Amino acid sequence: MKHTTLKSFCAGISLLVATSSHAADIDFSGFATIAAGTTTASEEQYLGYGNDFDFNQDSLFALQTSSNLENGFSVTAQLIARGRDDWSPAFEWAFLGYEVNNNWKILAGRQRAPFFMYSDFLDVSYAYHWISPPAGVYNLAFDSFDGIGSIYSSQLGEFDSTFHAVVGRNQDKITLPASAGGVEVKPDFKNLVGASWTLNRDWLTLRGGYFQADMTIPVAALDGLTGGWNASGFGNIAEALKAEEDKVWFAELGFQIDYDDIFVIGEFTRLDLKDTGFSNDDSFYISIGKRFDDISIHVTYGADDDELENLLANVPSNVTALAPLYAVTQGIIANEKREERYVTAGLKWDFHPVASFKLEVTQFEDNLDNQQDATLVKAALVTVF
Amino acid sequence: MMISNFLKAVVIASLLVCSVAQAEIVVVVNNTNAAALTKNDVSRIFLGKMKKYTPVNVSSSNALRADFNKKALNKSSSQVKAYWSKLVFSGKGTPPKEFGSDAEIKAFVASNPNAIGYIDSASLDGTVKAALTL
Repeated sequence: MKHTTLKSFCAGISLLVATSSHAADIDFSGFATIAAGTTTASEEQYLGYGNDFDFNQDSLFALQTSSNLENGFSVTAQLIARGRDDWSPAFEWAFLGYEVNNNWKILAGRQRAPFFMYSDFLDVSYAYHWISPPAGVYNLAFDSFDGIGSIYSSQLGEFDSTFHAVVGRNQDKITLPASAGGVEVKPDFKNLVGASWTLNRDWLTLRGGYFQADMTIPVAALDGLTGGWNASGFGNIAEALKAEEDKVWFAELGFQIDYDDIFVIGEFTRLDLKDTGFSNDDSFYISIGKRFDDISIHVTYGADDDELENLLANVPSNVTALAPLYAVTQGIIANEKREERYVTAGLKWDFHPVASFKLEVTQFEDNLDNQQDATLVKAALVTVF
Repeated sequence: MMISNFLKAVVIASLLVCSVAQAEIVVVVNNTNAAALTKNDVSRIFLGKMKKYTPVNVSSSNALRADFNKKALNKSSSQVKAYWSKLVFSGKGTPPKEFGSDAEIKAFVASNPNAIGYIDSASLDGTVKAALTL
């Protein structure tokens, strides 16, 4: 009996081994960014950098494995470990792909939402000129989602057209800003639906996108305030301060001109978070660069304006009983308002067929609080393999 | 005799010079492939935008590769690598398969009706069809 068990066990193992050796080819590839940065004055803080060299903030290491199964099916998984997350790896992509035909591909699983021009390869620094895309624009609460994507490519006259539609949900943990408690919470962006459309012809690329979702973000730090407004008969203000299944939307317009050795790229975004207690956000950047053989130089100007709608428009400001609630809410509105400007100048040197060295200096200005102004110097080695 | 030897030498030398100067790239397809291809078609095929063909590259260590990238795709090798990393790491495409030599390219193209490759014009023979000279 024992013998038989052992035999069948061995048979089972050899069957497994035989199966796996006949399985489809698995491709491994990856990319990495090793970046270091520091601000130039002792009190300056910007994008997670302080006045001591930091090697973690923008450094990352990614491995991708993909396999073409038969009949148009493929599986792809991408694991990224980031220095700023203590190098603990997480799946940014994990999907089953199906090519319906030469024009139409469907992705099911964890994937990137095409919010921005650089969303698809956000972390693949080798594929673009900056160390990372402008943070003032690329600052949504999440980049990947779980669901279905549909990518339709076709030719429209002289243009290559790509229409990328998505449906899904994101519930990845985020850390709230310090003003909202600075704690880690589990938000819920459900009924995420949207699409981006990209047109490309020779040196010109145009794109636009629109996405919406029902957003819930629990902010325990606001419970006292919303409770107070509710008790005072201003339930509408309490509602407007809470992110509970509120319909939010995001729109983006972008262009890219790549003519001879000159490139110009711009993106304009609007994030509408009305009635969530989080600010609405308008932002843009324009980047111009020139390539000289192995070296590119570039300069980027960006602006990021945030504003919370005026929740207190219909509240009398002279009622003593409401004064504390009024003052705290006024403080939140003031705190959520931002007018940030930045200029980044940089250089990229392709010193190796699959690796580049990048150097960048960013001058950041906060128009509402010049104590926040900062100058950041960053250098990076980036590669794909 | 001496003159003819001298002439021979001149002819051989000029042939050598010419063959260096004319190290042309020939885009080759299967002999059964009747399609006429423009440079724009070749560029679209090798950038994965036109999918009815199966393109194959010579390996990146081969000098012909950089020459082809420049002439057909109008991009440096780094730019081509960057282009493909955008597609590879978003699951949108895979770069063409690579072969080490002109002979391997010809063998692949000869046995696959939809295949398209490129070789040094000096390696061109009857096993494949020249579709475009760069």
